[in-house]
Amino acid sequence: MSRWGYFLRRLLLAVPVVIFGTTITFLILRAGPLDPVSAILGPTGSPQAYNRIQENLGLNKPLWEQYIDFMVSLFTFDLGQSWVINPDTDAYDLILLFAPRTIWLGFWSVLIALFVGIPLGFYAGLHPNTPSDYLASFGGIVWRAMPNFWLAIILVGALGLSGPFGGAWINLGPQTNIIGPPDLGFFSDPLRLLTAPGDTWPDFLAALKKIAPAAVVLGSASMGNEMRIGRTAVLETINSNYVETARAKGVPRRSIVWKHVFRNALIPLVPIITGEAFLLIGGSVIVETVFGINGLGYLFFQAITQGDLPLVGSLMFIFILLLVVVNILQDFLYTIIDPRVGYER
Amino acid sequence: MAGSDEPARSPARGSDEPTRSSARGNGEPAQPPARGDDESAVAAPSTARGDADGEPLLEVDGVRTAFFTDKEVIRAVDGVSFDIRRGETVGVVGESGSGKSVTARTIMGLVESPGRVLRGSVRFRDPDAVRRFASKFGGRTADVSDLAPEEREGAIGEDDFVVVEERRDGEITRGYVDVVRAPEKALRKLRGGDIAMVFQDPLTSLNPVYTVGNQIKEALRLHRGLTGSDATREAIDLLEAVGIPDAGRRVREYPHEFSGGMRQRAVIAMALACDPEVLICDEPTTALDVTIQAQILELLRDLQEERDLAIMFITHDMGVIAEIADSVNVMYAGEIVESAPVVELFERPKHPYTRGLLESIPGTQGRDERLRTIEGEVPTPNEEPTYCRFAPRCPKAFDECDRVHPVPVDVADGARDHTAACLLYPEDESREAAVSLHESRNGERGDSA
Repeated sequence: MSRWGYFLRRLLLAVPVVIFGTTITFLILRAGPLDPVSAILGPTGSPQAYNRIQENLGLNKPLWEQYIDFMVSLFTFDLGQSWVINPDTDAYDLILLFAPRTIWLGFWSVLIALFVGIPLGFYAGLHPNTPSDYLASFGGIVWRAMPNFWLAIILVGALGLSGPFGGAWINLGPQTNIIGPPDLGFFSDPLRLLTAPGDTWPDFLAALKKIAPAAVVLGSASMGNEMRIGRTAVLETINSNYVETARAKGVPRRSIVWKHVFRNALIPLVPIITGEAFLLIGGSVIVETVFGINGLGYLFFQAITQGDLPLVGSLMFIFILLLVVVNILQDFLYTIIDPRVGYER
Repeated sequence: MAGSDEPARSPARGSDEPTRSSARGNGEPAQPPARGDDESAVAAPSTARGDADGEPLLEVDGVRTAFFTDKEVIRAVDGVSFDIRRGETVGVVGESGSGKSVTARTIMGLVESPGRVLRGSVRFRDPDAVRRFASKFGGRTADVSDLAPEEREGAIGEDDFVVVEERRDGEITRGYVDVVRAPEKALRKLRGGDIAMVFQDPLTSLNPVYTVGNQIKEALRLHRGLTGSDATREAIDLLEAVGIPDAGRRVREYPHEFSGGMRQRAVIAMALACDPEVLICDEPTTALDVTIQAQILELLRDLQEERDLAIMFITHDMGVIAEIADSVNVMYAGEIVESAPVVELFERPKHPYTRGLLESIPGTQGRDERLRTIEGEVPTPNEEPTYCRFAPRCPKAFDECDRVHPVPVDVADGARDHTAACLLYPEDESREAAVSLHESRNGERGDSA
């Protein structure tokens, strides 16, 4: 079937994209003002030590050789070792240490956007120009307009130790402070959530509560986006001719909404939803910093300011892979939802 | 009652009858039991149908549908009345904005907020349907079969939308379902099942994300309870019936894999899926090119002959009307301004608007003449008419036209079925007499509002 042929072609086209992205990363890193040697050496090192370290790191080799080393090691998933931040630690181990917090944060913020934003938007679209629609739309715009960093600081101020609701927040459910990374110990053995719920669920809830304010902040913008686009999409579909045809066929309203409107309204939402999956990676640096969550965003920022080339390169490579995978996922969703995709007309 | 005044059509109907009643039996197992034994052949459904031939299957009576906007109330349909009989095609013509489509939606019960049907009724007179709805909505059925004609009006309650007018041995033989007063639940049964509709644009009237078969099967499931492979087989049969080749493969394809003409055929198949009695076609050929248009008209004619369909055909194309309609209603600004059998209308158009429409068909005048048009455009009918809405554009307007609202009258004494809403008619009366006739009729009409 040509739908799946189309999907396969998309999959193959992802390979040159990854290669190109990695190459650009290499060029930017090398062309930029990063000097890992002086970062390692500190301000007092001698020129001899400088040269020795440069030689050790292989930075005096011709650029094309460095490029080939860089590419080969990345594509064989040999991520190398950190130079500056945590010398002689595998980049892989560092990422494994920091990534779960970011994933935890991103997961919940995407979920909030999905399960609050889209239903709200669909509801508003199905009841256009009613007070509840105005409320939802207005809320969506306000929610959308609040900048991340501002909302984050306000929340920390309000729910923090000295804030007006600080005490209430700490004692709500499991005791946690608003600042600091969540304890994701239960991740190491997720099956125990099922086998020993008594022991692990409190940890799970504590981690959830810990991440909730940050997730709300991170998800808020996309929640507003999804709400508004969902509303428009529903309005557009519900006024379309095929919905009228369905009504003329005697299809009940519920089935019109769920069968005829829902699936068509999802089509414009797919890129918005997958676009938000990038929250998993990029948008979280500020929020992670404000809430003191030592995640990937924090690690990436530290690595880049300190010139930790292998770590930056590895992180970039992983980000590129994630981006490409999310894009492929988006195309996959398209092929499932919309049968028109992939046909050349 | 037993009027079989059209013998020419009866063989076709006879041959169609078995499949039709068997199809019904599938969908509504509840209703046919008490028929047959003690009743003579006279009361059998086919004869009930024969009875109905004399009287209309669908009566649109004084319907007014208005749209309430912040600025004004637009009477998109303002006091429209006409009948459709079995096997008959009633054409509705008019410019854009004359209220054709709103009329169709009123008949389907598809008028949505901010629109509302203010008055009038749409009476669907299929005895089968009346029986079904009477048994399902007993609480909202008025049985006036025992009452004298003058008592009937008062016996129909506020909420009643099914009216039984005649019973023979307990079996309902005459009555109607009023679409305007029917609740949404009943409308859903009626739509698609009894009255089906084909929309203007075949390119967008199929849902792009479901296969054509899926959408036909949806109708089959809703009204006839068919699912699974039975439904698939029926869908394939339907596609074949509307002339789609290789239907077995096509049924699994998506709308975008169909050409425009094929899509309209598929839409027609979908409309016919549940064997409706009335088919409303809202400009079904406007979006198609001329050859395909001819094919679709041909198809509709064949289907009508096969199934004895009553068709209401909306278009702005006089050529199409001439080809397909038996009788024609000309609409202008929400009102029917002229109504006549098709040949009569084309040979002897009476209303100045109809004349203008016919003259504006290219090729009806001499070669060198400029194409004649009707100056101006359709006004928005946003108030109670106390004048002729066509007067500002009318070449024959006189002073009274601004003062008296014309009502449909026979164009002349003895002119069969030919009415026009114009102060010039009846033409065998003097102008003063005609105007005062319109005036007095107006008074009667206004009271019932």
